[in-house]
Amino acid sequence: MTGGGLILVVEDSEEDTEAIQRALSRSHPFLDLEFAPRSEDVLPRLLDPAARTPDLVLLDLNMPGIGGLALLSSLRAHPACASLTVVVFTSSTASAEEDSCYAAGADSYIYKPVNFELFQTVLRGAVDFWLPRAADGAVTAVPPAAPPA
Amino acid sequence: MVDDDTWSGALHRLWQAASRAEEVGALADDVYAPLLATPGVHLVVGTRWDEDATLRYMRALGADGDAPVIVATARSMPGAAVREPDGEPVVTRSPVDELDDAVWPEAEFLRQVPGASVVGCTFRLDRSGWAGLSVAMDASADTEGVARRLAQAVDVIVACHTGILQRGREARRGADDALLAEASLQMDSSLDVEDTLRRVARIAVPAVADGCLVHLLRKDGPEFVAATHVAVQQQRALEEAGRDDPWLAALLAQRDDGDQALFLSGAALDGSPFAGPGPTGGGRHPTVVSVSTLHARGRVVGSITFVYQRPEDRLPDSAFLDSLATRAALAIDNALLYELRRHAVLSLQEHLLPSQLPAAAGWDLSASYEVGDPMLDVGGDFYDAVPRPDGSIALLIGDVCGRGAEAAALTGLARHTLRTLLEEGTDPGTALSRLNRALRQEGASRFLTAVVVTMTPRADGTVLLTTCSAGHPRPLVLRADGSIGEVVSGGLLLGILDDVSYESHEDSLAPGDTLVLFTDGLTESREADGTYFESVLPGRLSALRGSDAAQVADSLARQARAFRASGQDDIALLVARWNGITPSDGLLPLETWLEQAALR
Repeated sequence: MTGGGLILVVEDSEEDTEAIQRALSRSHPFLDLEFAPRSEDVLPRLLDPAARTPDLVLLDLNMPGIGGLALLSSLRAHPACASLTVVVFTSSTASAEEDSCYAAGADSYIYKPVNFELFQTVLRGAVDFWLPRAADGAVTAVPPAAPPA
Repeated sequence: MVDDDTWSGALHRLWQAASRAEEVGALADDVYAPLLATPGVHLVVGTRWDEDATLRYMRALGADGDAPVIVATARSMPGAAVREPDGEPVVTRSPVDELDDAVWPEAEFLRQVPGASVVGCTFRLDRSGWAGLSVAMDASADTEGVARRLAQAVDVIVACHTGILQRGREARRGADDALLAEASLQMDSSLDVEDTLRRVARIAVPAVADGCLVHLLRKDGPEFVAATHVAVQQQRALEEAGRDDPWLAALLAQRDDGDQALFLSGAALDGSPFAGPGPTGGGRHPTVVSVSTLHARGRVVGSITFVYQRPEDRLPDSAFLDSLATRAALAIDNALLYELRRHAVLSLQEHLLPSQLPAAAGWDLSASYEVGDPMLDVGGDFYDAVPRPDGSIALLIGDVCGRGAEAAALTGLARHTLRTLLEEGTDPGTALSRLNRALRQEGASRFLTAVVVTMTPRADGTVLLTTCSAGHPRPLVLRADGSIGEVVSGGLLLGILDDVSYESHEDSLAPGDTLVLFTDGLTESREADGTYFESVLPGRLSALRGSDAAQVADSLARQARAFRASGQDDIALLVARWNGITPSDGLLPLETWLEQAALR
């Protein structure tokens, strides 16, 4: 933990997981990343009172098993997850899918490009928007605590 | 405790870390740890400042190994302006108790080391901001040695930051190029103007900006097409602004020239839907808006408006926006051309076909026309149904070889020639011969096929079919019992030889029988394995036993379309079902009925 906020990344593809890790470790070195490769594990993880609440959830829409859309709907059905910021990633530009994502409760619907540099720019744009202070190392202003003498 | 060799090693590690970092803050651990390991040093505090003496960030780390304390803020501290370095880094030495909090916000941390002396160094990071690095140490520390190390660390940080900026610019150029390539790819995949613009808006957010609005410029002003925003709530607000906001409408309407993107911020956005903070409140950067005008076909066709809520150094430059706008305009240009052409093709096609088929007692007539691909230009299929003076009805269907304006002209000539002759009572064979002559006289360079069938009800309730064909696929008859018959016919294509006569063949329809005329787009539809629809047509037609004419025509056209894996030929179908004389019709003598039919 580096104290800079936590992003939970729901992504099954190892390749995309690696790309997200590489991109965010460059643009937001203070952020903690947690990866959930199986959508079935996400809800129990978020409802676990002992686990740290993420500041942002990045959700790949094309998940095997429980699809991204179904997962999003079930998250929103739980009061504990109602206010979580969820950014949905998709490789589609179809507007019908966008509408269903918003109906299911997505805060952002982002097109996932193939090119890594562009993907990094897109990720940075989304994270900077939702966690504007994350690049500086803090998600929100932290009151000064007594430093060690 | 570190000796000088260890310090050199730490500087080396700092360089290595710097070569990987994308943000100078990521170097913090590699800077703070060796400074804290210097004898007598108890606390290190870093600060980041904006140009106007706004404190953005503080990070304090003690020697005891606890996690750093991080303060992210936007605190305006005019008093600190005196610390802003002009050129070279500035080193300050002071007892901690003499630090003024209005100038030294980090004093609140440094004071935690009682009686400490402080060495601070402020240095410029880039044009938009500066930073400070301060240490609190006890009396045992070598003040000058610590100051030297601080200055060395700062030198490395500044050099690293310059390198980071450079790499960032290169990465951004790479991302810009990728975005332009992606945008072109996306836009080229659609020939619909609005869809093209929607795709631009979708892929540009949040890579280029946080929000995007696209408009087309119509005669009566800008017309909203689409809006996207990284946050759904703001997307809805943008959509509303895009549709109704008078400020935005006025701005877009007056952007009728100029190739360069227009940037607006601060007071220039007063009264606009973009003024005021976003719904997420604190920490947000001031809103900046850019408007790029789209030029296509020699005029302004629309605009792309980007909304930014990000640091100034992350705004795209004009050259990039202009390049994106040029590509979007090009895609729109293509889409507009396609639209114009499609419209022309469809309206021409419409005029080559009858607007409606005649109604006649006992008959159920229907037709279907499927345009294979409007992009390939107007097709050459035609059909018609013509009432004749003797009460019979003539059906005609034909196919001009090829597509385009010339094919369309011949299609019109063929249909109207046949129609006029048949309407006057000319028999099918003579009508085809005269059309052939007309084509030869016109010097037509294309051939065409056609078939004409006259359908004459007889006293026994059946219908006499008289068929002449000029190289056209043979019509089929779906008998009331589901069996399929072929109407025998054959003759030379039209437009090849000067004098051609056409033989007529007779057949008959019983009540409940259906005559099906079609063009070769139907029979030559092919499956992926090469099978022609012709081979399955009898079976498919038989399965439509009992259907009315419209069902037969529509169903066969639909089935052929679903069947074909390749081929984009048009499909024309003309279907006549003979229901026979109903009891009410049948009460009349045939001659009377025929007279009435002729009058109709």
